[in-house]
Amino acid sequence: MALLEYAIIGGILYGIFFSLVAIGLNLIFGVMRIINLAHGQFVMLGGFGAYLVTSSLGLNPIFGVPLAVLGGIAIGYPLYYGVVPRLQRSRDPEMLSFILFFGVAQMIEAVMTLLFGVDERSLPGEALGSGNFGVLGQQFPDSWWVAVAVSLLCIGGLWLYFSRTRLGYATRAIIANREEALATGINVNRVSAIAFIIGLSLAGIAGVFVPYLVGSISPSDGSDLTTTSFAIIIIGSLGNPLGTVVGGLVFGVGTMLMQTFYPSWSNLVPYVLLVLIVLVRPSGLLGKAVRNA
Amino acid sequence: MIKALKKAWLASVMTAGLVLPGAAMADTATAPSVIKIGTLYASTGNFAIASKGQYEGLEYWAKEVNADGGVFVKAFNKKIPVKIVAYDDQSSTSTATTLYNQLITQDHVDLLVADFGSVLTSVAVPLAAEHKMLLIDPTGSGANFFTQKTNYLADVSIPSSTVWPLPLAHFLLDQHIKRVAVIYDSNDFDASQAETLKETLVKGGVTPVYYHGVPTGETNYNVLLHTIAARRPEALIEFGYPPNDIAFLRTLSSSGLHFNMTFTIFPGQLMKMMEKTVGAKAMAYTYTYPTPPLVATTDTTYGPDTATFVKDYTAAKNEAPNFLNVAGFNTGLIMQDMLGQAPQFTQLSFHQALMDMSGKTKTLEGEFKINENGAQLGELFSVAQLIPSGDTNKIVVVYPEDKATGKPVYPAPKQ
Amino acid sequence: MRKSIPSLRGPAIVLAVLAFVFLMAPEFYTNHSVLLTMMTFMGLAQGLNLLYGFTGYLPFGYVGFFGTGAYATSLLVTFTGLPILVCVLGGGLAAALIALILGPLLRLSGAYFSIANLAASQIIYFIVANEDLKSITGGPYGIKIEQVYAPHASYLTMLALLLVVTALAAYFRLSRFGLGLKAMNQDPVSAAFAGVNVVRERLIVWLVSAAMAGMIGGTYAWDLSVFYPSAVFTLQISVFAIVFALFGGVGTVIGPLLGAAVLYMLYDGIGVSAPQYFELIYGALIVGLVLFLPNGLMSLLTRRRINVL
Repeated sequence: MALLEYAIIGGILYGIFFSLVAIGLNLIFGVMRIINLAHGQFVMLGGFGAYLVTSSLGLNPIFGVPLAVLGGIAIGYPLYYGVVPRLQRSRDPEMLSFILFFGVAQMIEAVMTLLFGVDERSLPGEALGSGNFGVLGQQFPDSWWVAVAVSLLCIGGLWLYFSRTRLGYATRAIIANREEALATGINVNRVSAIAFIIGLSLAGIAGVFVPYLVGSISPSDGSDLTTTSFAIIIIGSLGNPLGTVVGGLVFGVGTMLMQTFYPSWSNLVPYVLLVLIVLVRPSGLLGKAVRNA
Repeated sequence: MIKALKKAWLASVMTAGLVLPGAAMADTATAPSVIKIGTLYASTGNFAIASKGQYEGLEYWAKEVNADGGVFVKAFNKKIPVKIVAYDDQSSTSTATTLYNQLITQDHVDLLVADFGSVLTSVAVPLAAEHKMLLIDPTGSGANFFTQKTNYLADVSIPSSTVWPLPLAHFLLDQHIKRVAVIYDSNDFDASQAETLKETLVKGGVTPVYYHGVPTGETNYNVLLHTIAARRPEALIEFGYPPNDIAFLRTLSSSGLHFNMTFTIFPGQLMKMMEKTVGAKAMAYTYTYPTPPLVATTDTTYGPDTATFVKDYTAAKNEAPNFLNVAGFNTGLIMQDMLGQAPQFTQLSFHQALMDMSGKTKTLEGEFKINENGAQLGELFSVAQLIPSGDTNKIVVVYPEDKATGKPVYPAPKQ
Repeated sequence: MRKSIPSLRGPAIVLAVLAFVFLMAPEFYTNHSVLLTMMTFMGLAQGLNLLYGFTGYLPFGYVGFFGTGAYATSLLVTFTGLPILVCVLGGGLAAALIALILGPLLRLSGAYFSIANLAASQIIYFIVANEDLKSITGGPYGIKIEQVYAPHASYLTMLALLLVVTALAAYFRLSRFGLGLKAMNQDPVSAAFAGVNVVRERLIVWLVSAAMAGMIGGTYAWDLSVFYPSAVFTLQISVFAIVFALFGGVGTVIGPLLGAAVLYMLYDGIGVSAPQYFELIYGALIVGLVLFLPNGLMSLLTRRRINVL
């Protein structure tokens, strides 16, 4: 019984955090209709940012968060203008972006492996609090709670951006209908570039906490994070960033229940969910039908 | 029909002149100018820490013998320098396959030494047999290598892993510990230990309350530890490779969970390194297998004793050796003894020399004793506990009694 | 446009050259695993080309079929003791069976197909490598079929498979069947009107492509004879097949072969000792190809209206 409670509460925490991991991918897909297959690699970069912050600067890993935002701008801006408009003019932006960003992913992974080796890195265990904090008698490390708090702040912030700011409004207009948004005079390119940067930054921020929730980070973790993120946004709803949270919770609770009761099968969870959802309900749990063929 | 065809193909392989280094060498009466020793190491990945240690030990041995003019080769009745040909397999078995092949077919090495551990050794076993090369296997101890008689495999630097946990099992039974949890990595090395432990415990009337394998790359022990704690074990035994042991000990110390006894393999081999990454406090009172140089052999029949080796190695490398350095060095020593005894410079003669040495040779690792399947049956590991002493831990052998240097602290105090 | 008689000359030359090169190569270069792996990737790139080049479905989980074939072959050897070539054939059948089960994925378009196929390959991997199935598949401890180890025979079998898959690609390229496939890739609706059974033909190509990967995987396993699940299910195998095919140019016969040969030699030269430099190079290659040369090396010729196979 205690184990069941542990799994469910743990799953909710884990799920909220993984919503943050995946949300950037969904934002970029929603706005640009391109698939950032290097998403997991950007998450991984965030983790290594935090690793550098602690190991060479001796700072608290939480400073990895602003570093992730800076990184999101520094990488996102040139990357967006370098490839995205060109992709969108091509005959099949979705498929070509998929392949192109796959190449980007390989490059990031290669460079990181050259710099850091393929070893697993972890962050100082006590940096985000060395104790435990319990809910309903279930103890979780302090670092989990910090990660969840940051996730909620980021997702809440994104919601405020969408609902309270002009840019956010324009972003939603583009998600709803790109052609119409263009026609109404929205500067689609600029708004998209900002969304692209936000997407990468959110991925990087999530990366800061991956070493705590998953145990460690290594350059080759990117592709797993990408497929997991994909599963989450497909479960939630493609192109609807806030729907990601539903996907995250389903994934989190599912994974924790499996890890607790059938641990050797738990790594199947995201993949099985992905294939099932794609076949049974391609539009996701929340979404409207989006498939054309 | 198919069998006959296969025979024909094999025959054509032979006649096509696919290289068989051992056989080819036998015909040449002239001595080579160097003895080429081919091996692999992993600079990165799961086995990097251990593999690099082993490789450094072997390199150190080569440097030492070359400073002395080389190894004495009985077949040519003179000293010949050694040269190590080494490639980086990055802990990947598929890369290792290509590279072992490279060593055999392109570099034509005289002696083939496997990389660290059962996983990276496994792919070399059939290759070596196919090319009729004796595989010198320093630390590949997985039980399933040694199931049949062979001339092409010899485990030289650690006991076959099935025998490792025997003293541990007897210690648990002696202490009347009834509730034992075992978590192991799913690979030959760890799983064969888990199996032996379980078998011995069950024979003693103790059935583990938890017994479970995790993937070899596992670093996330949070949920697992809670699941284990729910079974209320007194002793928790974790069999893994260094990255697993590190993650396990770290997670355990931050989880707020406590067990009366915790056991992991690698603190006894890589104590300094693990104290640096895990913290001495998180390792206090953990049990482990103590290995040389943490335990010493004094009455060696070949090569330096443990204390001399530690002194020389430390002087040469400015760093005290760990077990894997010892294992690498010991591999060199055994080959040196072998070359000094084998009357012919052929792989079969090398193997016969090893068999002749078995049971009569004692190096800094203890008695060298292999069986006809290539398994090492030399001295068993004892059980030790890490006892806090100042900022660090010291190793206290607690079982078996004739080797014990202290009493176990059981149950371990809550930190 | 293409008369049947002269069109057969091209494929015949390609097949003869392939056979000659790989029959002679062991005389000059004795690292058997390098040559065998090269043929493996040429075969996989060609097999992937059958699907991607002619239907536009990019199977990111192609390694799933390769691994399935490797395991099915090994399990047949272990449990039935049938002749090894029958076991390899069984590996192909098993992969085709998996493809049949995954058939509904073909309803998905573009990237969704690719990512779902990737997930499917991971599912197969995790099931095969699961410790709970240790008694059947060997789980994470790998599998041994040393009793059939015969490097020369597996080498020739791999060469035969490479020739078969290349002949299939040539058939796709030159036959009505292949032209129909191309038409429905470009415009499925009109192709359907023109009497092409879109669903059935796609499925056939999907099954053939999977079966080829399965047999190649089976032969690869035979050659390794001792391996861990990660060795035959690593995503790197999909990745290499895709990059090699894209580099040479999909939709042609020579492109994937050339791409795989050139890049694998590059990999063998620098990749084995420094795989990250190689990864960096092919990552950059992909980006460059998508942006500047989406149809691969071969399009340099076709653009100039030079007809290539």
